Amino acid sequence: MGPGSLSHRRVHASLLSFANVGKRRREGERESVVLEGVSFELGAGGALGIYGQRRSGKSSLLRLAVGLELCDGGSVRFEGHELESMSGGERARLLRGPIALLSADGWLPSPGETVMDHVAMSAGSAGLSLREARRRALAALDRAGVAGVSAEEMTVSLAPDTRARVTLARALVREPRLLAVDEPAPLPSLLERERFCALLREVARERSIALLVASEELSALQGIASLASLSAGELCSTEDRGTVVEFPRRRARAGESP
Amino acid sequence: MVGAVEGKAGTAKWIRGRSAHLRGALLGLVLERPSHGGELANRLAVRLGETWRIDSNDVYRLLQNLLDEGLIEVHEEPRRDKRPGTRIVYHPTELTSAALTRWIETLLPRETFRLGLHAKLAVAREQDVPGLRSALAQHRRECLTLATMMCPGDGEPGSWGALFMDCTRDGIHQMLQTELDWVNRTLRRIDEYAARAA
Repeated sequence: MGPGSLSHRRVHASLLSFANVGKRRREGERESVVLEGVSFELGAGGALGIYGQRRSGKSSLLRLAVGLELCDGGSVRFEGHELESMSGGERARLLRGPIALLSADGWLPSPGETVMDHVAMSAGSAGLSLREARRRALAALDRAGVAGVSAEEMTVSLAPDTRARVTLARALVREPRLLAVDEPAPLPSLLERERFCALLREVARERSIALLVASEELSALQGIASLASLSAGELCSTEDRGTVVEFPRRRARAGESP
Repeated sequence: MVGAVEGKAGTAKWIRGRSAHLRGALLGLVLERPSHGGELANRLAVRLGETWRIDSNDVYRLLQNLLDEGLIEVHEEPRRDKRPGTRIVYHPTELTSAALTRWIETLLPRETFRLGLHAKLAVAREQDVPGLRSALAQHRRECLTLATMMCPGDGEPGSWGALFMDCTRDGIHQMLQTELDWVNRTLRRIDEYAARAA
């Protein structure tokens, strides 16, 4: 990241912005609305959690946010640039650099591949030397809480908890500015789940990575400063003020809207 | 319209307190059809369901509150069975409709579970849809806000001390999640109804 991109970030206060975004999908004859009128802003280093039930449009929203898919209405901007007006190649470059997506279906181990290979490969595609890529991979694995011993383990035989951490390390190694997480902790143990969510928040905070996390469990979103709920393609967030009618007033309490 | 009741309802106690849900629902029922006290108690119990445990003695007390506010009035009418004597029938006044609208639009105190919304839904008229939608959306925002206030514990994760906190937080998250799902489903039902009606 050169000095040019720093000043560029200062100009655009919001890292990721959705403005009135819509997405439709054809299912045979029928066309269904996946997202409608979705608007939000996520600042650099900020965090937004999205709660929604299955098939509420969470994964679609994340795919639009990272530029895997494009919206049909409104616009999605990353650091001020409209994703819809970028080419596929440009969006692919974003996904190899400043944007990372963590999702359970993203896990694709190769035969004979060690954890180190898996993570270093991700750094390598960013144009680093093998030596530097391995150094960074080790640091990322360390931060993700994968002990040095498991760096030489085969990726095909990892326990779910380690797999989640390796996926995180793979994302961290590219030093992203936006980390989109689809279902943060589909882990069997509740304790492992909470530890992984806590790790996500800590890493994001210490590296000023913006977090966009979607889950069908509200408890997986704890500790995230703003939350939104997605239902039938519509997003409602704690940030919306909405029309406040009137309280049956006794005393006005501090911090509440009038 | 709301202005018409501002003078009275603006200072009124009927819209506050623990029984506000029931007083509001009673206004809705009287507006639907004038009834005597016992019948209102029955209709209220049927409409809101057994979980509310409605006591008919309470209903008379609540009706008295509404009478004091001028939101309903009593008419003495001859008994239907032609026997001697009269019965007391509760009728709406010119303030009732606006008071009902006002109650529907009034924000509820912050709670994880909102019986008050159930009471509003139980007696709302089609014209109350905007007020209902805004009450539901407000509740949804507050559930989300409450969820953001649930900070992760600072105890050592996995320790015995953290266990109790984890369980409590879990319970609250589950409750908030259920409420959010219910609000979203209710809004969808209302929208689907409106689309069919249009």
